[in-house]
Amino acid sequence: MTTPDRPRISLLGTSALLFEAPGAFDLPHQRRIWALAATASKWPDIREAIPGITNMMLTFETPPRELDALIAALNDGWDAAEGLAIGGREIRLPVTYGGEIGSSLQSVADHCGLSADDVVSIHAAPLYTVFALGSHPGYCYLGGMDPRITMPRRQTPLQRSAGGSVSIGGSQTGVSASPGPSGWHAIGHTSWTFFDSSWPTPAALTPGDTIRFVIERVIR
Amino acid sequence: MPIKLTDIARLAQILEKSGVDTIEIEEPGQSLKLVVDTGPRMAASAAPAAPAAPAAPAIDHSVIAKADVAGHFLAAHPWRDQPFVAQGQRIEAGTTVGLVKIGLLYAPIVAPAAGTVDAVIAETGATVGYGTPIVRIRPLS
Amino acid sequence: MIEILSVTGPASVQDLGRFDQYRFGVGTSGAMDDVALRAGNILLGNDENAAGIEIPMLPFKLRFDRNMAFALTGADVEAEISGRVIPPWWRSRARTGDVLTIKAMPRGARLYLTVGGGIDVPMVLGSRSTQFRGEFGGWHGRPLQVGDILPCAASTATIGELGVEPAEITLARPNTAADETIVRVVIAGEYDGFDAATQALFWSSSWKITPQSNRYGYRLQGPAVKPKAPIEKRSHGIVPGVIQIPPNGQPIIQMRDAQTSGGYPKIATVIGADLWRVGQARLGSRLRFEQTAYTDALAAEAEMSAYLDRLRTNVRLVEETRICRSS
Repeated sequence: MTTPDRPRISLLGTSALLFEAPGAFDLPHQRRIWALAATASKWPDIREAIPGITNMMLTFETPPRELDALIAALNDGWDAAEGLAIGGREIRLPVTYGGEIGSSLQSVADHCGLSADDVVSIHAAPLYTVFALGSHPGYCYLGGMDPRITMPRRQTPLQRSAGGSVSIGGSQTGVSASPGPSGWHAIGHTSWTFFDSSWPTPAALTPGDTIRFVIERVIR
Repeated sequence: MPIKLTDIARLAQILEKSGVDTIEIEEPGQSLKLVVDTGPRMAASAAPAAPAAPAAPAIDHSVIAKADVAGHFLAAHPWRDQPFVAQGQRIEAGTTVGLVKIGLLYAPIVAPAAGTVDAVIAETGATVGYGTPIVRIRPLS
Repeated sequence: MIEILSVTGPASVQDLGRFDQYRFGVGTSGAMDDVALRAGNILLGNDENAAGIEIPMLPFKLRFDRNMAFALTGADVEAEISGRVIPPWWRSRARTGDVLTIKAMPRGARLYLTVGGGIDVPMVLGSRSTQFRGEFGGWHGRPLQVGDILPCAASTATIGELGVEPAEITLARPNTAADETIVRVVIAGEYDGFDAATQALFWSSSWKITPQSNRYGYRLQGPAVKPKAPIEKRSHGIVPGVIQIPPNGQPIIQMRDAQTSGGYPKIATVIGADLWRVGQARLGSRLRFEQTAYTDALAAEAEMSAYLDRLRTNVRLVEETRICRSS
């Protein structure tokens, strides 16, 4: 289908395009995505270049008539991209694990063959990096989760999951900024404001910032 | 008010731009029909097609709802089975009695007075112009 | 100003949307039927991006607190203002104190009420659309409630009654059965992850729109469409129109309030020129997908622009004719 060491480029209708980098879900690849996004956002007819997890979406001001030139520019841009090291801030985020909001804590533990306490300590151990913003206003995708607590996304997404949910989806983790539908598994919650439309920059965190989860409580 | 030459020039311009080929204006004491020449065509008939059985009363007090733009008459909205009005229906002044389709638009034809619908004169799909009679209304006396 | 007297379901203030805030996780919001919102604004001589009210359920009732022009576009409608019936896709005038009662929506799924000058709520992050998830924009970031009094921008236009042919008629797609909506789609990144038989099933099926369909997404029901092997993507940006296939094999079309990113495999994307058709498709009705090439999707967008141009020209023509006669 694709050559594993080349990027994948696919259409999202006529309003956007998706660039997926080859290689691992890790910080060096993500830094190259940040660099590519910084470059691509200045190209003509591009509205935004939005980093995802080792991928990037370009939205069009005007959709290109021909895609070949844009595809070539993306491939060249990726090859040329030096990792962009963003020296972000470190945020300490108190988390209550388990309980009503974090009700999937036990099912994640069961799925991974661990105890709930193991899941909590494994989840709270790393210093996470904000890889990307997306999903809903102010939501941060975090890199650095220990693969031992990986759990596939839900078969059918939940219609409503609480704001402040700390959840796991596949090999990723994140904290929801507001209530809404979700295909992830919530293992805890935090009360923190991630987004305010009246702030000059509406999102509290930006790619390159780091988060340390502090275990406030574990409800078993 | 007499129709001025400048009005005619303006109307002709509008016709040309809109792709509408005919416009008719009737006012007391005068009438005007503008036809944009778009090649060979049948001669426009001088008299409006009279209803088959006029049977007009000796003294006709009826009022006529007329089209005020050129286009095609619609008795019903295309999303409706029922026409706007039917014979014998009581209506108020200002009631919409039909539509003139002009390009993508529907201009309403409104009843000038309250009364009872005597007849819907125009047929759906017919080309109408400014002043074309659409519905005859017997006013409340 | 207009005062909401009765509201059913999540009616909201929407303009065309908020298109350049993805990098903060902010989706587009905006009218589910952008064609109807534009048509209403064109009828009123407004900027096409002026905010209106999107009404998904009836009854709905409001009072005008001053003389103003308004238009109803989108779904078919049974509506009345001070005893006068308002036909569908229609502009009219209200006097101070008039109550507009909207009783039923015989076809279509969303009605748009636009007013001369537009609903004058503050611009937030470049748009007046309600961002439900972020609870901002529109009217206090929430659905409208009884008693809400919405400010309307001043408009000096004095205009008469006028209708537009519903877009569903003008822009009808050939071979569309009653109660079925056909939309054109461009295939997306994971299309090749489905085998030929499954791809054929996706195209041939008449998908049922489930009751769990709303501004976030349309959840469809039909034969399970599953990839050759499970696909779990790293989270990436998505836009309204993207059709995701979650593991249960039942497609979800992302709509205006969709999340800005996702990880389920994407089989196709509804083209921008047809997304309004999804917005007007009723719960319980059927939906079918028709494959189209990127260049044809661009051509469809050009056709949509031409349609809107024609609508603008037509409205100008009728106004000029009326002015000409009355001068």
